[in-house]
Amino acid sequence: MKNIKLILVFIFLCFLNINQSLANEKNLIFKITKNLRCLVCQGQSVHDSDSEFANSLKIVVQKKIDEGMSENEIYEFLKIKFGDWILYDPGLNKKTYILWLLPILLFLIGGAIIIKFFKINKIK
Amino acid sequence: MPSLIGSYSLLFGLGCSFLIIFFSIKNFKNSNLFDSKILSFSLLQLLFVVISFFGLILSFVISDFSNETVFNHSHTTKPLFYKISGAWGNHEGSLLLWLLVLTLFISIFLLNTKNQLKDYRILTLLFQQVIIIGFFIFIIKTSNPFNYIYPEPKEGLGLNPILQDPALAIHPPILYLGYVGSSIIFSSALAAMTLNWVSKEWAKHIKKWILVSWIFLTLGILLGSIWAYYELGWGGFWFWDPVENVSLMPWIALTTLFHCVLVLEKKPILTSWVIILSITTFTLSMCGTFLVRSGILNSVHTFANDPERGVFILIFLFSLIFLALFIFFFFYKPDNVKINSFFWLSKETAILVNNWFMMYFLSVILIGTIYPIFLDVISSEKISVGPPFYHKLIIPFLIPFLLAMAIGPKLNWIKSDLRNKFYLFSFLIISLILSSLIIINLKIDFLVNTILISSGFYLFFITTRDFFVHKFQNLAQNISHFGFSLFILSVLFNNIFSSEIITNLKVGETFKSKDVIIFFEKVTKKKGQNYETIIGKFNIVDSENIKQTLIPELRIYNQPNIVTSEADIKINLLSDKFMTMNLVQNQNYFNIRYQHKPFMIWIWASVSIISFGGLISLFKKKHEV
Repeated sequence: MKNIKLILVFIFLCFLNINQSLANEKNLIFKITKNLRCLVCQGQSVHDSDSEFANSLKIVVQKKIDEGMSENEIYEFLKIKFGDWILYDPGLNKKTYILWLLPILLFLIGGAIIIKFFKINKIK
Repeated sequence: MPSLIGSYSLLFGLGCSFLIIFFSIKNFKNSNLFDSKILSFSLLQLLFVVISFFGLILSFVISDFSNETVFNHSHTTKPLFYKISGAWGNHEGSLLLWLLVLTLFISIFLLNTKNQLKDYRILTLLFQQVIIIGFFIFIIKTSNPFNYIYPEPKEGLGLNPILQDPALAIHPPILYLGYVGSSIIFSSALAAMTLNWVSKEWAKHIKKWILVSWIFLTLGILLGSIWAYYELGWGGFWFWDPVENVSLMPWIALTTLFHCVLVLEKKPILTSWVIILSITTFTLSMCGTFLVRSGILNSVHTFANDPERGVFILIFLFSLIFLALFIFFFFYKPDNVKINSFFWLSKETAILVNNWFMMYFLSVILIGTIYPIFLDVISSEKISVGPPFYHKLIIPFLIPFLLAMAIGPKLNWIKSDLRNKFYLFSFLIISLILSSLIIINLKIDFLVNTILISSGFYLFFITTRDFFVHKFQNLAQNISHFGFSLFILSVLFNNIFSSEIITNLKVGETFKSKDVIIFFEKVTKKKGQNYETIIGKFNIVDSENIKQTLIPELRIYNQPNIVTSEADIKINLLSDKFMTMNLVQNQNYFNIRYQHKPFMIWIWASVSIISFGGLISLFKKKHEV
């Protein structure tokens, strides 16, 4: 137990040392561009890409933030302009019900099977 | 000349398959002893494939551009190391590597199972030969690495520079050892089903193969991530890209299978489930090859698009699944005479819970990967499924999963209670307090984070305690679970505390913020073997007044003419400093990206620890209690 306490203290001290620079407003542009697909690249986000398309889109997003648009409004704006393909987060709508709900449904079915398994066992 | 030899030995290799099948069927019917001819022919087949593979490597080494594969993927100025690794850095060569590993594994299997039932060995070999023949035909018909070009070109087209990298040179072979290892599990499961031998003994024997594939798959994925981290220049290591998902899915299935086999090793329950998982694992590996090779996926890693290949793999895959299902429904008669019942609080239940969550994670990834393709086909609407989707569906479920992972191994088989287990509860409280302190102290107001960090810590403490209390008992399991807790914690803290600066700088300019000062000292030009490079020199002073010099590079490769950005990374025990620079067109400044990434090295270390646990388990004589 003593060792664990030492480790605890050590880890805690480690964390105190980490300098954090999480200013939310500054990171909004990062957060948004990370959720956008760079349309001319292969499997990269706008944030991670240095293509001309990505760079111009970064400027557009920054402009929209400066104009006071909220995160969701910017997504909506880009969705109308470029289509759903650009958003990495497929929102819940009638096209994506299966996508979002099927895994959860499978999870519930799995749970049901396990419970049933125990009931059968009990009877025997 | 090496191409010619390679080409012919492929045909001879295929010929061996038919001889093996002929003798196997004869041996299966007639004799009680294993016919040594079969083994000889298997080894001969392996030899032919090895010759063929070396033929291809040799063609690459001597830059024989009359070979189409060499012409498309090599260049005389390429360093020797990448000439060699270029042999499997392309579609044709990588399939030849698949085949090599397939034949290698079945030979090892035959040499290694001398004490097993004769019929079981022969049947496994037969099923494996079906897969091998499929691959032979696939290679010879649709992707022959030895196609001729006449007249011989003077120079090749070169290898994509992002693939000219040590990690990526060994990534495919390691990953394939994992993928292909699952083929043995598949064949062996089919054989065991046909003979109704899905038993404790089989579980004990197949567990080794599961572990071997699992270790290689883990390391393969790790290498891929490390490569993505430093070579793609974006500072991330996992993007939930379809090609990454495709390697993660068999990993999850294998991990689930391994836990299940631990139960089967003890008593004959869950037999059908183990069989289904064995089939699933291999199917997912094959699906991986199909999805990547057919060009359906839009991804960085896709370097071959050809519908004919896709159709072939699809048909092949469906025949294998059909074969498996046919045997499952018509040959396999599980004896459900004695179902040993067990109490709800027991190790069996914990493993069931593990399976439940693993299958959920698998379904999330599977659906997330193929649903966009599906939607595109039926309604021609394109959607992207990226990191936010996976994070939303996976992260909340990780919390109970981690808790179960900590408590599960503490339970006994059949029935257990929680008396004398007070520490389980007290550790939970400690973890909660600790993570709340961290969260409050660092002002991150995110509830899920707090709970997730707590459960990560919980697993971490419980496993750490075990190292001291139980010493060597269940060591392998404990190491892997400990590694996993470390992994989750490092990824979380990495995510939360990463910071990034993107700016444009000219030589001599300085960037200042409250955390860091970046001074762009100079650029120098140098010449490498097949590229020219521009090296930037940056002096960095961080908030703790530590000075460091980072030298990111811009490489201009000659063939193909591609500019790549090479990151410079200063690795530290607690955090990495990561810097890339990029050209901006028609401007005299560079685009600089500086990232502070805490705990990167812990992510790599923890995954290594996880696979190290597997290694210990493999070499341990006594099996786990």
